Amino acid sequence: MSGKLYLKNQVPAILVNLMGMLALALFLFANGNQFQTVLFIFTVWFIILTTCLSVVYYARKRYLNQLLDMAEQLEERYLIPEIMTIPRKADEQVFYQIMKMAEKSMLEKIGAIQNERKEYKEYIEQWIHEVKTPITAMKLLCENNRSSFAREMLAELENINQYTEQALYYARSEHTEKDYSVRETDLCDVVHSAIADNKYLLRQSNMTITINVINNRVYTDDKWVRFILNQIIGNAIKYRAEKPALHFSAVKTNDGIVLSVSDNGIGIPQSDLPRIFEKGFTGRNGRIGKNSTGIGLYLCKRLCDKLGIGLAVHSENKGTAIMLSFQLNDFVTGVQG
Amino acid sequence: MKKIFIVEDDFTIQAQLKTLLSGNGYEVFAVTDFSQTIQQIKAFVPHLVILDIKLPGNNGFEICSEIRTFSDIPIVFVTSSNTDMDELNSIMLGGDAFITKPYNTAILLAKIAALLKRAYSSPQAEFFAWNGVTLHLESSVIEYNGQKAELTKNELKILYYLFKNAGKICSRNDIVDFLWDHQLYVDDNALSVNVARIRDKCNKIGLTDFVKTKHRQGYTL
Repeated sequence: MSGKLYLKNQVPAILVNLMGMLALALFLFANGNQFQTVLFIFTVWFIILTTCLSVVYYARKRYLNQLLDMAEQLEERYLIPEIMTIPRKADEQVFYQIMKMAEKSMLEKIGAIQNERKEYKEYIEQWIHEVKTPITAMKLLCENNRSSFAREMLAELENINQYTEQALYYARSEHTEKDYSVRETDLCDVVHSAIADNKYLLRQSNMTITINVINNRVYTDDKWVRFILNQIIGNAIKYRAEKPALHFSAVKTNDGIVLSVSDNGIGIPQSDLPRIFEKGFTGRNGRIGKNSTGIGLYLCKRLCDKLGIGLAVHSENKGTAIMLSFQLNDFVTGVQG
Repeated sequence: MKKIFIVEDDFTIQAQLKTLLSGNGYEVFAVTDFSQTIQQIKAFVPHLVILDIKLPGNNGFEICSEIRTFSDIPIVFVTSSNTDMDELNSIMLGGDAFITKPYNTAILLAKIAALLKRAYSSPQAEFFAWNGVTLHLESSVIEYNGQKAELTKNELKILYYLFKNAGKICSRNDIVDFLWDHQLYVDDNALSVNVARIRDKCNKIGLTDFVKTKHRQGYTL
């Protein structure tokens, strides 16, 4: 509370007092009082008035500061009427009532939006599950009638599947609830299934694949890691250069396992590196017309954060290496025995 | 011949699964009336059931628990929803495998073969023979007239595919596809190198011109 403004607000009261003083002075002088007596009375009056004003000012200031503190500490600030004490002053009670009304309409709005979002998320999930049926049917049709035409169709189907998966995980990552379950997972299996998901795209781009991941067990959600690897493989295909190659390797470190996926593609410029995990960031590679969405790596980062996987990118002009570090601490091995 | 029963409500997938599975040596029957699923399963007596979860009438979980009341045949759940709840449910109710759509056919076939092997422990062919040449799968050896040559993993898989399709022409693309399905990521050049090595080994055991090249088409035995 600003003291200056408070003083300004008290101007009417002060004016009333001054007028009272003037009236009293006239009355006292008319009754033949001494100047000293009048001065004494006025001094006492003045002292009482200023004390009153400042005591009230400090009391109010304390009370309001507490309220401010309370509001600042609150995560959902609009809930302040729920925890503050009901004020005693008549006008304050009116403000309190207004705050209550504002809170109520806010809560209603939030509830409605949350519901809407939940329904939308459910619809997206349902839609994705539905679209997977025709994708599966087309995939089977192509696999049963192999030809060069079918191969190209299969590659495109893999693309469609990746995009739908992206939408699914985007819908899931936006929600706070846990959609994953952590269990013992063989990294080798996850890598192989991610490659299988992109088989025809990888074959089409003549990618050479080397794997150096042997029997590395980590605790994580295999579906999420598979999705993350799919995004990384998709990028490696999209941003490939001459004689593309993709190398998977896993290294044990002190407190975990680092799975790195490195390619020899066009790489990421140093200036873009700090921002690649931002939503919608496409950078130089996006500007040269590679159909970038700025969603893939953003989702990878989000999912990694949720799963507690470290995600790092290394790129020097040519080639990109993405490192996923899985924690493998004493706690996990202790619990698992 | 192992019998497989398919419970799937999408008719294209049903028909294509039938083609795929019968092409891989299974006798296949797909449900025709979803109100009679259990009766049809009882009548067909399959060795394995492929079960979708979202179905008209009773869902896959209900059908699964009903099957479990009279039989413990392997049940493979195939579904497009890959939530943890569904996976957990399918395992709790006695499902043996959970595969999400769109599935990789190689993985589906491998899973089916593994489940059938575990449930019925049928002695699988551990060797192939063609024109007096024997391919031993377990020991990864090719044998001709008592002479043997050891094969690498890649060479064994290539020969396995050629033996399986003996007499037919196998296109290079199909062979590479097959190798990728078995987690051997070989490219076109590497395939040529591997076939050259196989020919070398065959020559050493007195087997000349065993793997023939069909120009622009592929290889054949």
